[in-house]
Amino acid sequence: MTLAQTDSSISEATDVPVRASRKPVVPWFLIAPALVIVLVFFGLPTLQMARMSFNLHVDQRLYVPGFTFEHYRTLFTNPLFSKAIWTTVQLALVASFFSVAIGYTFAILAWLKPARWRLLFVGLALCPLLISEIAIIFGWWMFFPKNGLLSQALLSAGLITDKFSLMYTEFAAFVGLVYVTLPYAFFILLSVLDGIDEQILESSADLGAPPLVTFREVLFPLTRTGLLVAFSQSFIWAMGTYATPSALGPDTLWTMGFLIQEQMLGKHNWPLASAFSMLLVIGVAAAMLLTRSLMSKRSAFHV
Amino acid sequence: MAMDSGLALEVDRVRRCYGAVVAVDNVSLTVRRGEFVTLLGPSGSGKTTTLRLIGGFEEIQSGSIRINGERIDQQPPYNRDTATIFQSGALFPHKTVAENVAYGLRMRKVPKHEIDERVAKVLETVRLRGFEDRYPGQLSGGQKQRVALARSLVVRPAVLLFDEPLSALDLSLRLQLRAEIKRLHDELGFSAIYVTHDQSEAMAMSSRVAVMNRGRIEQIDKPERVFHDPANEFVYNFIGESCCMPLRVTSGITADKQGRAVDIRLGKGLADGDWRVYVRPNRVKIGGSAANSPNTLKAELHFVEFLGDVFRYHLRAGALEIFADHPGRIAKGLGDEVEIGWGSEDMKVFQ
Repeated sequence: MTLAQTDSSISEATDVPVRASRKPVVPWFLIAPALVIVLVFFGLPTLQMARMSFNLHVDQRLYVPGFTFEHYRTLFTNPLFSKAIWTTVQLALVASFFSVAIGYTFAILAWLKPARWRLLFVGLALCPLLISEIAIIFGWWMFFPKNGLLSQALLSAGLITDKFSLMYTEFAAFVGLVYVTLPYAFFILLSVLDGIDEQILESSADLGAPPLVTFREVLFPLTRTGLLVAFSQSFIWAMGTYATPSALGPDTLWTMGFLIQEQMLGKHNWPLASAFSMLLVIGVAAAMLLTRSLMSKRSAFHV
Repeated sequence: MAMDSGLALEVDRVRRCYGAVVAVDNVSLTVRRGEFVTLLGPSGSGKTTTLRLIGGFEEIQSGSIRINGERIDQQPPYNRDTATIFQSGALFPHKTVAENVAYGLRMRKVPKHEIDERVAKVLETVRLRGFEDRYPGQLSGGQKQRVALARSLVVRPAVLLFDEPLSALDLSLRLQLRAEIKRLHDELGFSAIYVTHDQSEAMAMSSRVAVMNRGRIEQIDKPERVFHDPANEFVYNFIGESCCMPLRVTSGITADKQGRAVDIRLGKGLADGDWRVYVRPNRVKIGGSAANSPNTLKAELHFVEFLGDVFRYHLRAGALEIFADHPGRIAKGLGDEVEIGWGSEDMKVFQ
């Protein structure tokens, strides 16, 4: 035993330079496969897109190699594009807010209720993830129009006297977006809640705190980080989702996704579409970095 | 206002079912001011449910609960003058030790300077000065339970409720904290209900012990009385180790359940019928002095266990299996006949 110990301490002493150089290599080696996939399939195309965004656009050709900041200038000076940026951000913010609010409520219920309720909530939240976005849009097309499910249901329930259509309204686009982002918010918040000892709610009540105070003093502070993550995740999804708002919203609802698609396929202006996409990528990355920097401060007590 | 009866807590014929299962069945008990009452019982006996009914985390279905004479069984937990020390501690992980302890005082709208004073004092009492700014995640299991204790003590509730607070700790820590809770009770004189399944814990700390079984209180009395004068077989069995000898007496002849005669002499003869005779293994004498005891039994030595401070001799007589603890070795081999004996006061007989 003692021999072995001396042995290993000697080899450790002699190994020091080798170990110092070996140590950082192992983790890199372990993440290499994932890293290669990310770099090849996401990194390279993004770089190519970045390069494309500086190319020239002349004579209705897709692009002409060159270097110009013109497309970026267009994004911020042309009111059409700057308005689309604002519309998208606004829609994504509102949709994320509601998505987090609804997701939080259901996650708390699933957390506090007995196991069979939990299973039901988790099952319901999984559904939208199993169906493709296009199929979900078809579903909304049967739900929102004048002869759709919503209108008929309200009519037969006697709540309204005339049929009405919500199809192609901003409200429909908003509902569609919330539906897309809700499962992410729900699962993120549920996993955060699962890390909390339920008994601390009882101990708070026991020490004299009514339910609302318990929420303010205990549950909310402990889930604040989770809420932030859920919000930024929903926001990223809502920013990038293109089909749902275009298919459900009015023709005048021009989101960034819609305009990128239009520039790319309709106007054959690849550089401008790329510049717009780059702006979206940078915006989303900034949102993620901001969340991370806020998170590290919040979770200090986990040490 | 009713006249002060000196009772901190009165639980009167309280009942709680879950579907067909009766968790708490007509339980009545009182805690005088300054008294430390333990609910002792095996798991599933309803002791924790009783505690949760008092704390307000479960609703009673009939009966009543009064604290300082005032009926509170319809009040939510936050309106009851109780404070619970949970098994897990249930500390707020995002609050420091000082913030955890101050929580109940803040909820009671105690002025800031008084909160600081009382928090400092109670942390002194539980020997956690200097830990004010730590988070629960930075504390050991024993320290966490001290914080939980301080957090409940500091609000000076009418009744402190202990929900097996030591069962998650290792033995030496458990003994240490047990002594500390006892010391705090002697010092501060709080009223408490303490739930445990550990009979030595119950014996060591309590003014009175209530032994629970299947939702009922089988006996409630001083620890010595519960130990020496158990109300029934369950209580006797649950408090301390015992050997059981099932006997059948027919026309004055004592035999085991299969009818084989057993060479047993009992000081007080048993009438005809089926009996269960119990004796504590550490009260059984074995070897030389045994023959002079008022009760004796001749049995065959089956095997011997070494338990550290004593040897445990396992014996057989017919279908009877009993064991006796004795500090030394005896001059008998396996299979030899041994005579054992015990005093009449160390024996309990149930029909």
